Amino acid sequence: MNIKLIGITALLFAIPFYAQADAISELEAKYQAQGAGPFSAAAGEALWTKTFVDAKSGDRRNCTTCHTTDLTKEGKHARTGKIIKPMAPSINPQRFTKVKKVRKWFVRNCKWVLGRECTAQEKGDVLAFLKRL
Amino acid sequence: MAQPQAQNNNRQTPIRIWNIPVRLFHWTLVGCFITAWLTRDNRYLDIHLFAGYLMAGLIVFRILWGVIGGPYASFRDFAFGWHEVWLYLKGVLNRRPPRFLGHNPAGSWAIYLLLTLGVLIVITGLLGLGGEEQQGPLAGWLNYPQGKLAQDLHELLAWLMLGVVGTHLIGVLVESLLHKENLVSAMLTGYKPAPANAVSAASQWKTGIAMAIIILAGGLIWFQGYLTATANQPYRPFIGPELPDNALWREECGACHLAFHPSLLPARSWRTMMEEQASHFGEDLFLEPDTVAEIKTFLVKNAAEQELTEAAWKINQSIPKSKTLLRITEAPYWLKKHRDISDAIWQNPKVNGKVNCAACHLDAEMGTFEDAAMRLPD
Repeated sequence: MNIKLIGITALLFAIPFYAQADAISELEAKYQAQGAGPFSAAAGEALWTKTFVDAKSGDRRNCTTCHTTDLTKEGKHARTGKIIKPMAPSINPQRFTKVKKVRKWFVRNCKWVLGRECTAQEKGDVLAFLKRL
Repeated sequence: MAQPQAQNNNRQTPIRIWNIPVRLFHWTLVGCFITAWLTRDNRYLDIHLFAGYLMAGLIVFRILWGVIGGPYASFRDFAFGWHEVWLYLKGVLNRRPPRFLGHNPAGSWAIYLLLTLGVLIVITGLLGLGGEEQQGPLAGWLNYPQGKLAQDLHELLAWLMLGVVGTHLIGVLVESLLHKENLVSAMLTGYKPAPANAVSAASQWKTGIAMAIIILAGGLIWFQGYLTATANQPYRPFIGPELPDNALWREECGACHLAFHPSLLPARSWRTMMEEQASHFGEDLFLEPDTVAEIKTFLVKNAAEQELTEAAWKINQSIPKSKTLLRITEAPYWLKKHRDISDAIWQNPKVNGKVNCAACHLDAEMGTFEDAAMRLPD
């Protein structure tokens, strides 16, 4: 095998990580434009494991309800039982590669767990926590 | 035509009356009838169909055998008219019916009636299968309502056949008692006591063996899927039609739950569901407007009204037009079909509630929900 082929293969494998870095930096730039930052992985982790009580049902909810505490493993949708792919980008390189998808899930899941949308600071912190896993 | 023989003949020795093919036909037909009756729940449709096809084959054989089957098996040996049946029944009422070595006049009429009913049951069964399930050789010949009609007729004829079978059994019992002979064992062994001058039937064992081989080979071919099935790839006897699909629908709806096929709810339900996507069973889906539009178009275009599957037709039929259900599990047809599922099954971790169709329906992802593609988890 020649050097060129190895180089191209390595680049091809790296594409998802570039996409990831691109999507995350685009999102971080957006959050910063809204006045948030700097972002803290520790604050993100704290939010990730914090328990909220649903006003309507009284259920205790947090991010780990569905995603579990081991983010390198599969999670499970609390209501439907559908398998959720691992959150850790090191295991699942598809994570955080599409800006639209991240935005959609932040809205959907923040509303379910916190009962409201997350602030730009909260989203930046969580992303800082998740992207290093 | 057979004549009644003189009674009180003291010099009787057993001779073969029923040849092997006649007996094999008789008892296999009994087996088919019982099997078909026990498998009338569509969950066992493939077994029911095997019993039906086998019955059809047996009847065709019996008609042929009625021409070339030799003594006692030939139709000409039991071609009795109404007058002879009447005389025979009068004899029964007087407790002195004449004895026939072969079929008696009343029994012969039961045979003709059973053969006719069998043919009609096979025909209506195939029509129902083609209409209601869109399966089998007549798939597509009838639509769902017509298939349902054929199915109702099929059931009515089966009840009639059960009535004739019951009458036949009473007849066998009465004649056995009145003549003090065991007619059931005669149909098993083939032998009946007969006067010395009576004609004996040949055993016809070659035809019998050929029948047995064909039946066994047919069964093996029909059910071979069970032999090659694995736990991960269970055997599905029926594959439904390929239904319309949409990648965006599958991705977005399938992210949180099974992508429920549009054919499972009427269009008005899907319209409401997509308009209320900001509060989808308590969750804000936050879908982009163009995503909502594409999914909604796909859902409405292939909704239950399009009758893409039997389930679609029946679900739509069951929901009052004034109601806009958002849950498939609230459709009266769904409730009726699942009323016997115990709470223990719903709470089984492999099932995890009523949202997980695929736990039992092997073709849930495809949306076809074939009757025989179901199995409860262990």
